[in-house]
Amino acid sequence: MDKYECTACGYIYDPAVGDPDNGIPPGTSFEALPDTWVCPQCGVAKDLFVKLD
Amino acid sequence: MKILIVGNGLAGTLAAKTLRELDPAAEIEILGEERFPYYPRPNLIEYLAGRLPYDRLFAFPDGWAERQSIQLRLGEKVVRILPADRKVETAAGAARSYDLLLLATGARAALPPIPGIDRRGVFVIRTLDDAHSLMEHLVRHKRVTILGGGLLGLEIARALRSREAEVDVIEFFDRLLPRQLDPDAAAILRSQIEAGGVTVRLGQVTKEIVGDPAVRGLRFESGDALAADTVVVAAGIRPEAGPAREAGLSVGRGLVIDDLMRTSAPGIFAAGDVVEHRGRIHGIIPAAFEQARAAALNMLGQDRPYGGTVASNTLKVAGLYVTSAGEIDAAGDQGYESLVRSDPAAGLYKKIVLQDGRLVGAIWMGTKKGASEIGRLVALRKNVEAVKKDLLADEFDFTEIA
Repeated sequence: MDKYECTACGYIYDPAVGDPDNGIPPGTSFEALPDTWVCPQCGVAKDLFVKLD
Repeated sequence: MKILIVGNGLAGTLAAKTLRELDPAAEIEILGEERFPYYPRPNLIEYLAGRLPYDRLFAFPDGWAERQSIQLRLGEKVVRILPADRKVETAAGAARSYDLLLLATGARAALPPIPGIDRRGVFVIRTLDDAHSLMEHLVRHKRVTILGGGLLGLEIARALRSREAEVDVIEFFDRLLPRQLDPDAAAILRSQIEAGGVTVRLGQVTKEIVGDPAVRGLRFESGDALAADTVVVAAGIRPEAGPAREAGLSVGRGLVIDDLMRTSAPGIFAAGDVVEHRGRIHGIIPAAFEQARAAALNMLGQDRPYGGTVASNTLKVAGLYVTSAGEIDAAGDQGYESLVRSDPAAGLYKKIVLQDGRLVGAIWMGTKKGASEIGRLVALRKNVEAVKKDLLADEFDFTEIA
């Protein structure tokens, strides 16, 4: 599963880690995150993430 | 201990969040000038473009501050700081006291002294109220001129295209993104932007915004003229340091802080766009983020120096990834060694800038592959002498120099 980077602050979403503080269990792909999920570091919307390859 | 934070933008909010994580007992109060809870400013562009609904602008769910035991007072503009009394005064005349104060007042949009800049139909985009004013105006006025071909100007241009506006971008420099790109990279970006339906006019100095009382167009020093019923000014930011200056704090172009985020007044710290650190005003989110964290740690007495933030931004302009980090050697006359690989037809441009074998800067455009890695290597000033010839190849494996 792909990692995604926040274009605003540089936070990297790693599906292997998830975002447990915000109820996202490890193993959740970026695509499967709810639309309401935001960058846990700076709070920007999901649209502002880009895929790392 | 009572910690008062002035400003509920990114720096103020993240400082409060960090303070609460570090100290469950501290009394934390935030005064925000805007009427809205914290939203990241990049979301405004998405909102303007119609890609983000209103309820998703905000970073934290309703009641977040309350649950964190953070007292959030919105619509409170601080007009005076009284360091000797350890309190501030608001525009409404209220006094708020503190043991420690964090000034995270941010910046406002710069307005160049162009005749007519106060006419009806001239906008800036800094706050949610700004975005709402522009959106309301756009319903009937769709001939837009954007003053400024920097990051924000180009992002706004793209957003307004998706609202079916006719958009011209005016840049007084001879290229787009002059701080991030050298001339060759900027030329590639320009053709990509224009392919998206935006007209770019370079090297134009605006002489006057004409129309009375509402905007009808612009005149330039070159003698050219342009019709417009909407002007959006995207000409940079100015730190919001007025009350700090009046209170006698050291203010240069921004509010001056040392490496421990301290202003010149005892007990008063600062972070974010308002700050001038080692002579620099960053005005970018990664810097505000690092400063907010450093300020929180230092306010609690943990000695955590902040050494500055290397400018590195990846953005997507007109569908093109643009990464620019550190020294870009735009003029090519500063004694750096620069290596370039370019494929204009594919919108690809890669450049690395070296000093004595160390990577001090890079431009990475048209591809995301390797972009964050190159940004990190620049931040580390990594010595890449041995691999410099291979670094620009698409298939280069960055784990080789990790």
